[in-house]
Amino acid sequence: MKKNILAGVLASLAMAATLPAHAADKVIRIGAIYPLTGSSASTGQELKEAIDLAVDLINNPHADAGLAGIPMAQGKGLPNLGGAKLQVVYEDSQGKPEVGLADAQRLIDQEHVVALTGAYQSGVTKTASRIAEQRGIPYLNAESSSPDLTERGYKWFFRTTPNDETFIENMMQFLDTVKSVPTTKIAVVYENTDFGVNTYKAVEKFAKKYHRQIVANIAYSANSPSVTAEVQKLSSAKPDVAIFASYVSDAMLFVRTMREAKYAPPVLLANDAGFIDTRFIQEMGPQVQGVLTRDVWATDVTGAKPALKAINDLFKAKYGKELNGNNARSLEGILVLADAINRAGSTDPQAIRKALIATNLNANQVVMPWAGVKFDANGQNSEGSGLILQMDGPGYKTVWPTSYRTDAALPKLPFAWK
Amino acid sequence: MTTQTSVSRKTRHLPVLWAAVIAVLLGLLPFVVKDSFTLQVLLLAIMFGALGASWNLVGGFLGRVSFGHGVFIGSGAYTTLLLLHYANVSPLIGIPLGGLISALLAWVVGGPTLRLSGHYFAMATIALLQIGLLLFTNWDWAGGATGLEAPIRDASWMLLFRTKVPYYRIAVLLAFLTFCATYFLVHSRVGFYWRAVNGDEAAARSLGVPADRYKMLAFVISAGLTGMWGGFFAMYVGFIDPDSLFNLTTSVQIVLVAILGGVGTLIGPWLGAAVLLPLSEGLRVMMGSSGAGMDLLVFGLAILLVTLFLPGGLITLRRRRRGTSGR
Amino acid sequence: MLEALLAGLFNGLIYAAVAVGLALIWGITDVINFAHGEFLMLAMYAAYWLYTLGHVDPTMSAPLVAVLLAFVGFLTYALIIKRLQDGPPMTVILATFGLSLVLRQVAFIAFTPDYRTLPDTWLSGSVSMAGISMGRPSVVTGLIALVMVIALFVLVYRTRWGHALQAVAEDRQVAALVGIPPDRINAQVWMLGSAAVGLAGALLTTFFYVFPSVGTVFALLAFVAVCMGGFGSLAGAVIAGLLIGVIEAMTGYFVAPALKTVSIYVLFILVLWYRPRGLFGRW
Repeated sequence: MKKNILAGVLASLAMAATLPAHAADKVIRIGAIYPLTGSSASTGQELKEAIDLAVDLINNPHADAGLAGIPMAQGKGLPNLGGAKLQVVYEDSQGKPEVGLADAQRLIDQEHVVALTGAYQSGVTKTASRIAEQRGIPYLNAESSSPDLTERGYKWFFRTTPNDETFIENMMQFLDTVKSVPTTKIAVVYENTDFGVNTYKAVEKFAKKYHRQIVANIAYSANSPSVTAEVQKLSSAKPDVAIFASYVSDAMLFVRTMREAKYAPPVLLANDAGFIDTRFIQEMGPQVQGVLTRDVWATDVTGAKPALKAINDLFKAKYGKELNGNNARSLEGILVLADAINRAGSTDPQAIRKALIATNLNANQVVMPWAGVKFDANGQNSEGSGLILQMDGPGYKTVWPTSYRTDAALPKLPFAWK
Repeated sequence: MTTQTSVSRKTRHLPVLWAAVIAVLLGLLPFVVKDSFTLQVLLLAIMFGALGASWNLVGGFLGRVSFGHGVFIGSGAYTTLLLLHYANVSPLIGIPLGGLISALLAWVVGGPTLRLSGHYFAMATIALLQIGLLLFTNWDWAGGATGLEAPIRDASWMLLFRTKVPYYRIAVLLAFLTFCATYFLVHSRVGFYWRAVNGDEAAARSLGVPADRYKMLAFVISAGLTGMWGGFFAMYVGFIDPDSLFNLTTSVQIVLVAILGGVGTLIGPWLGAAVLLPLSEGLRVMMGSSGAGMDLLVFGLAILLVTLFLPGGLITLRRRRRGTSGR
Repeated sequence: MLEALLAGLFNGLIYAAVAVGLALIWGITDVINFAHGEFLMLAMYAAYWLYTLGHVDPTMSAPLVAVLLAFVGFLTYALIIKRLQDGPPMTVILATFGLSLVLRQVAFIAFTPDYRTLPDTWLSGSVSMAGISMGRPSVVTGLIALVMVIALFVLVYRTRWGHALQAVAEDRQVAALVGIPPDRINAQVWMLGSAAVGLAGALLTTFFYVFPSVGTVFALLAFVAVCMGGFGSLAGAVIAGLLIGVIEAMTGYFVAPALKTVSIYVLFILVLWYRPRGLFGRW
């Protein structure tokens, strides 16, 4: 009987272990951990699409003048490594931190990746980057906004996206420019997860600095069957501004519930996430005309720099939809990582790390509406910033900073249900 | 569930001997197998086997199915990491303390819940799990929704290692201890009383079995063991948050492992874990990265097939091979 | 205050609607159907596609969806439950768990993980009750759920067939001895219970989003409602559902939305403390 058990165990292990392990020769491999299944699967797959496009731009020649100034986007592979091609190896995190940990280990030990990226959800990023830190492998995070990720004193962790502190400060700066309605009383409605709690903490910090007060602190459990209690609590607090930190499902439910309860906060300002999801815009767009959101990307900023237009057109040609704030950042992350590996001129992790530290891209060398990419002592990109958009028509339009705004009539306030 | 009556004294504790041999072999494995994925899978299999075996004390031998055992994993894990974080207490003390706190928790909630019958008890454990989840999510001092992270250091007495191999060895040791605990408990008078209560509680009571005390004992011991594993898990992953610990899916997986292997048997949960974990991890890695979700589909189908064709669990394979002997 | 109460009542009716099918199956055939949430999910997708592709409003397609789910319930019983119900009880639990995984993943693969809504159905809009605006879909769904529950009540407690159901629930072997075929009754109960959750699911699409894991959102509360109400009692499940809805809304409004779900579980434990068989449980 013991033999049976042993045989069974070995058979299962054999199956698990007979997974391909390549030798990395003309191919430079980086690992990407994303939620390809689970509740964030739709976002995970969008991120994968953008990353696939980035890899394509790096490896395969194409004639696009718009991308001329962007490092690594000329389709020549990694020139300093003999034109080696970049390959991204994906692992599904299922949205769970311990799975992310396993993925990171596997990618490092078996797939022999030279760097890691991912993982969208802050909890998964934490465990995956912890492994990278322990093993001395560079980790580039492009989408997670939780400030504490760069407060751990890690030496191998780099983040291109601005974090929630920058974003919430952007919100306050935007609110300062709003004169048509009062903006002093703020209510925060957020899901009781890392993302939501960090949003709230950041609002707490910057509300004080910008002379605003929080009149309601409404935390809710994600994916609840009903949010009527939350909406009732919100409406009775009578805020000037309602800031939301929700993912797609709850965003949809909140919109529906508020609409049915005939309650509209004068300024409905979302912290990205669900409100910028393609599906949300598609399904709920007509109902939430006038909703504001923080984002890092909007289709109308493509007019500001030729690179932005070029990259959006390419994405649209390949997938039939526009880039959004989530996957545009993933795309940029791959380009930054590839650039660093190229400048390192080797696959040695220390060299790549030094190259990352030395990253200094200016506004014309990034495909984001940022001032550039430069990492501070904590590994946080200090040149990034957010945008404030408003839903007008079929999609979002930029409202702030005014330098990116194309429609001077915006923002249209106060917010009301159509 | 065999009682060794007519076996000679020398081979009376044969299973424990076998367990020791397997433990030693597993402990030596990292010298041969360097692949971290395999080690991770083995570690998870060992951990779930132990969790299943601990659960089995209540669910199998006593006969009370608990779907909320994750609450003890959570209490153990948080105790360990909180002690480390705020008081710099080594997990060598923290993990047993985590077990103790979990046992205490079980003692507190056991009173009202253990007098509930089957289905009600199962649901009550789920309720406890959810309460634990929501309490810790809203408790900022314990990290709240953001969770707690263990520092990265090279400190063996703090159980902070840079590679996962030491954790693997600790897991093997803990598993062996868990197995011994379950073995000696089940083969003692305690185990005998448990089986009596499981069979027919009213009859057992009428024969003088102090049912309440022994029910509580099973619950408390099971919780304590589970809590220790929770503490271990916290150190292994290095990061905990309420969602990943007070997780209904994990609790159900523990039950799964025990039922799949053969509930109410000593070896069942280990067997179930040895098959289930490599299967689910292997599938995830093989098919999961495409995002098509095929791996979970195959997993679900596998569970369905096993239940349809091996209703007693994998352990019945042995009985079938032997023919008509044994129950 | 009134707002919270009304909202809670109608939420509660919806929880009750989802729970009542489970109560039937659990109470009479003594099987915990772990796939109950996935049945709901299937019903929601059916209604969604009938609307999107066939332009049939969910209120119209609800009966059809109920029949569809009855069929699913029958298949589940015939292919899986029947084979296992006389064996170890935990195996059935395991089997329904496996089934729930399979159904969820099939939906994931077939329909993609995207969240879907039906923005404009016949029921869309608000109604005004005592000066408070509420969503028409949830109010109407709640009322239809109430009608369905009453109909089920009459069926189970006032008809001959219903008495046969109760007989099988009490003691299968004795029921067989007096000429009631337990297997056939079990199959019928599965069909009826599944039809109930099918109806609930179809109506749910008028105001809730659909995605492969939507079953998990409602299933747990349904289980709590059935247990709190007591096994073997349909009325118990409904009343428990209403209680859950009201407590949830009141706690959310008066205490803090973050704690509204804790209060449900604390209430549940308290109920079990004072009444170990639930509110109206028979066994």
